[in-house]
Amino acid sequence: MNGKESFLQREGTRSVLASLLSIVIGLAFGALAILIVGLLSADLGLESAWEGIRLIFGGLFSTGRGAAGELSWGFNGQNIGNMLFRATPLIMTGLSVAMAYKTGLFNIGAPGQYLIGTLTSLAIALGIPAGTLPGWLVWVLAFCGAMLAGALWGAIPGALKAFLNINEVIACIMTNWIAANFVTWMFSISNFKNVAENTKSSYIYKTTYGLVNGAYVSGEGIATAKLGLDRLFPGSQVNGGILIAVVFAIVVHVMMSKTTFGYELKACGANRHAARYAGIADRRNIVLSMAIAGSLSAGGAALYWLSGNTEFFWSTYQALPAIGFNGIPVALLAVCNPIGVIFTAIFMSMLTVSGLQLTNLTAYNEYITDVIISVIVYLSAFSLVIKLWLGRRRPVPPKLGAEPPSTPSQSAADAKDEKGGDAE
Amino acid sequence: MDNSQDYVIEMLHITKEFPGIKANDDITLQLRRGEIHALLGENGAGKSTLMSVLFGLYQPEKGEIRKNGVKVEISDPNDATALGIGMVHQHFKLVEVFTVLDNIILGAETTGALGFLQRKEARKKVEELSRRYGLAVDLDAKVEDISVGMQQRVEILKMLYRDNEILIFDEPTAVLTPQEIDELMATMKEFAREGKSILFISHKLNEIMAVADRVSVLRKGRYIGTVNTADTDKQELSNMMVGRPVQLEVTKAPATPGEDVLKVEHFCVPSHVHKRNAVNDVSFTVRAGEIVCIAGIDGNGQTELVYGLTGLDRSNGGRVTLCGTDITRESIHRRGKSMSHIPEDRHKHGLVLDFTLEQNLVLQRYNEGDFQRGGFINRRAVRTYAERLIEQYDVRSGQGPVTKARSMSGGNQQKAIIAREVDRDKPLIVAVQPTRGLDVGAIEHIHRQLVAERDRGKAILLVSLELDEVMSLSDRILVMYEGEIVGELDPKKTTVQELGLYMAGAKRAGKEATA
Repeated sequence: MNGKESFLQREGTRSVLASLLSIVIGLAFGALAILIVGLLSADLGLESAWEGIRLIFGGLFSTGRGAAGELSWGFNGQNIGNMLFRATPLIMTGLSVAMAYKTGLFNIGAPGQYLIGTLTSLAIALGIPAGTLPGWLVWVLAFCGAMLAGALWGAIPGALKAFLNINEVIACIMTNWIAANFVTWMFSISNFKNVAENTKSSYIYKTTYGLVNGAYVSGEGIATAKLGLDRLFPGSQVNGGILIAVVFAIVVHVMMSKTTFGYELKACGANRHAARYAGIADRRNIVLSMAIAGSLSAGGAALYWLSGNTEFFWSTYQALPAIGFNGIPVALLAVCNPIGVIFTAIFMSMLTVSGLQLTNLTAYNEYITDVIISVIVYLSAFSLVIKLWLGRRRPVPPKLGAEPPSTPSQSAADAKDEKGGDAE
Repeated sequence: MDNSQDYVIEMLHITKEFPGIKANDDITLQLRRGEIHALLGENGAGKSTLMSVLFGLYQPEKGEIRKNGVKVEISDPNDATALGIGMVHQHFKLVEVFTVLDNIILGAETTGALGFLQRKEARKKVEELSRRYGLAVDLDAKVEDISVGMQQRVEILKMLYRDNEILIFDEPTAVLTPQEIDELMATMKEFAREGKSILFISHKLNEIMAVADRVSVLRKGRYIGTVNTADTDKQELSNMMVGRPVQLEVTKAPATPGEDVLKVEHFCVPSHVHKRNAVNDVSFTVRAGEIVCIAGIDGNGQTELVYGLTGLDRSNGGRVTLCGTDITRESIHRRGKSMSHIPEDRHKHGLVLDFTLEQNLVLQRYNEGDFQRGGFINRRAVRTYAERLIEQYDVRSGQGPVTKARSMSGGNQQKAIIAREVDRDKPLIVAVQPTRGLDVGAIEHIHRQLVAERDRGKAILLVSLELDEVMSLSDRILVMYEGEIVGELDPKKTTVQELGLYMAGAKRAGKEATA
């Protein structure tokens, strides 16, 4: 058998291909939407549609319009930097979902954990008066505090699952809304309001404001170190947070695939009974899994809000943050591989950046990228089907002694015992 | 009479390939009207694949199927049903939360003008069938609440309700008690008398000899031959099936028991089903160098006893001493330091099916010094260890150590568990139905291994439902009935009949004999 076919048959290859296919179909669908909208609208026409399509695919490298009004292209440090900045919290929530999924848990609680991280990081960053501690220490305290709070919050559905066998999805959804209301309440009674701006219905918080003699002063607070990235991508919001997120991805990857702890977690996720039989503390591990997942989501929130260029807009209306939910498609597209999460999160952010370019340069609005993202989300949920379809494209020629790949239907699974092992 | 008219179903020269394997290679099977035709073969011989082809679940690459001499196409189970072919699968295909009646009519519902179910007529028909064949079922009970034996009767009624003429039974006795097996055999004979044709898939020679008219033997995907049961015997059949002479009896020297390894005193384990104890006031000892067998009909507390001893479940009374240490309240992890456990349910407890074979082989040992360094798994050590076990215990799989456990055959999954547990080299081995669902060749292998471990001075507690296994393997037999040990027997001095009386609760030793 030649190497190419076995490469295509490989589980990992098919997973990656399935994800790529979802992305391509999603982009194609977005292009189609742009074309239809363009043709149907009197203001747009075919010319604008073509521009829109090019921006969807290559918006990252768009540098605006030239003298003659044509789209110009090239390296755009601002776009790339902003893409990396937006990817930072997404990597963390994506890791949160992926890591939990690998241990057999569906962490739909990422938005709630993210909110708890938001509350804790802002409270610590804004609550410590400027000058009492070095800025970097305040930053570290705020970041670690957020992760700890997220861990505790994530442990709640974990404990409910471990000790009372309550489905984690239901517990996560409930804790999400408890978090939303709890955070709203906490901000409402907090004494560090009136930070950046104070309107009738809302307050805006920004960590670059520091508490000086009882009043918040711009420039006295903290912000994530840029680590020279601002020089690499001038004019963008990027900061050292992206590097921290990448380090976390690597740590999670190593933890899950190389350590005995990861082995335990995965064993509990794949078969809780067998793990128990082997003497592994299954309950403890389920709680730990959810706690780690929660801390990752909350850490993502801290990286976002401590960046120094984000303003937390709090109103009496509570909602769940989209960054939390978007961790799910990020993880699914990456087939829950922690390293893959880095790339899928960056890709999702690229779509957002492209969407902004679309808004700025054409009469289209950025919601078209939401269409693309939703198509990709749907398709990533179908990725298993796509994977099977890919698997069927190229049957491996018979090789004696090999196992047949598992087949989808129940009946096939029953017959599987008959096909295996004893063949020579 | 035209030769082809003899056969109600003919499968001619069937070849079915899966990627990497020829599951059926030019197999011909001819079923006469009104006969019970057994299909015999080891795990992996291609029996289920062949039946799946007949039932329309798979399409063969080559060959044809004829009914009454006419070529037919069976592209899905609906076609099979239309041709009067019905199948009782090894793992029942029932909707757990539906009632028995709804399960029977599911897919063949009679409806009125507006599409409403007409349960009343269906009920009448099912009740009549149930009476006629003595298949007692409770039509209004939910499937999840009824016994496995009754579930099987539901499956049989499903076939009868659809007026199937050709009945396929895939390993029907694997889940039944001895009494239920006898009833099933009688029912099958009754069907044959009425002119229905039966295909009986099994690897249990006793049952085939008792009930079948003819036997077709498959081995490694190939057709070996068809013989009349009247002209053959168990030894010949097992040789045909395995391809070499098989030793049906276990040979072992008399036991030379040493000191007590496991001591169980007045042990109680609560039941999850009822308020009484599932295991009640049980006391026994297992000594080094002997095989003690817990015999009994399924559901008399054996599972709970093992759960209690191994720590999978909590006990609520009594004392368990292992190698001189009281382990009554110890964790599973601590107990595992002096106890190996071959679990009853290999998919639930024995293996993490989505893990690779090598990961499964270190399921309890990943944390030991040999296999980890500073919390990181030492992959090379795991691989070397796995390769040694695979070699030594002849565990066959497609890709060796990196094969997913799920894709291995049942027999090899069990071999892997046994390799892991025996190699842990603990003073006590608890083996629960170690040969369930395995074929003659694999059973022979496992029995030999257990005897070898006994001779090396291990204490072995065997729980088995197979009377043959109990009689041939054990040095002492403890019979469990309704959660209590009702007798201790010497396999050399007792008979299967006497054992059966104890198991059925009809006979009971005095209290002093059980102590």
